[in-house]
Amino acid sequence: MRLPEVSSRGGGAVITEWYASLNENIKKGQDLVEVSSDKATFDIASPCDGVLVGILKERGDNVLAGVTIAEIRE
Amino acid sequence: MAVNIVDLGVVPYADAVKKQKEFFEKRIEDRIEDTVLLLEHPPVVTLGKSASRNNIRDYSFFASRGIEIVNTDRGGGITYHAPGQLIVYPVIKLDPPMRDVSAFIDLLEEMTAGALQDIGVSAGRRQGRRGVWVSEKKIAFIGIKLRRWVTFHGIAVNINNDIFPFEMIDPCGEADIKVTSARVLKGDELDMGEVKKVFSKHFSNSFKKGLVDVIEIA
Repeated sequence: MRLPEVSSRGGGAVITEWYASLNENIKKGQDLVEVSSDKATFDIASPCDGVLVGILKERGDNVLAGVTIAEIRE
Repeated sequence: MAVNIVDLGVVPYADAVKKQKEFFEKRIEDRIEDTVLLLEHPPVVTLGKSASRNNIRDYSFFASRGIEIVNTDRGGGITYHAPGQLIVYPVIKLDPPMRDVSAFIDLLEEMTAGALQDIGVSAGRRQGRRGVWVSEKKIAFIGIKLRRWVTFHGIAVNINNDIFPFEMIDPCGEADIKVTSARVLKGDELDMGEVKKVFSKHFSNSFKKGLVDVIEIA
């Protein structure tokens, strides 16, 4: 799962909270992670059903759009 | 497409979040149209996701007055709310090309600056600084949350509220910020009903949604 583009200004976003844990079964559309950018927080949902097998960016990490932040095994 | 403007009056912060969430969930599911909540909060300090408790200069000031300090899930830092401060919580579904957090915040700032100008306050935006300003002083504070491109939380505008409590925090986490209000600038209290009408008009114009249906809730 990659960080989507949430702002045209670039600069990425900071991971502020993971709602799901490693190895958790997740559903498509379930909020997995919250990021913060430019006075806004943004909930990002899982793109598919599966198991969250990798959390690649931790709380506090600044991440650019397009970077892989999680791995989901469908 | 209409924007519903709902005037909730003075609502404690926790109750306002609960009410707002009801609108938010309904909007995500397309069960209601875009809605803007206008309200005021009893005195409360709120901390956004980038706030730190170190931004509170004097805990005893708030504790001695029974003023709560509340963590929230919005973006941004610390701010203070009180009656006389106009809170605008847009629950808006952003469609392309507005699916851009920064563009949405730009628009909120422009709307607020325009409305303040209409009530005789020469407010504007500042390069590289969020919020709405009158010269070097901040008059409006922004913090939002989005899920499925629907907006939650919004903007707080100092109209008639006492601004002294801002001296007890570092607003938005910046120690150098000075704060003002419409009342301070105009030297007199403003009619909140009239202020709300002006903001309703500007919000409608800013988002080019057309007619605004004003629903008054007691």
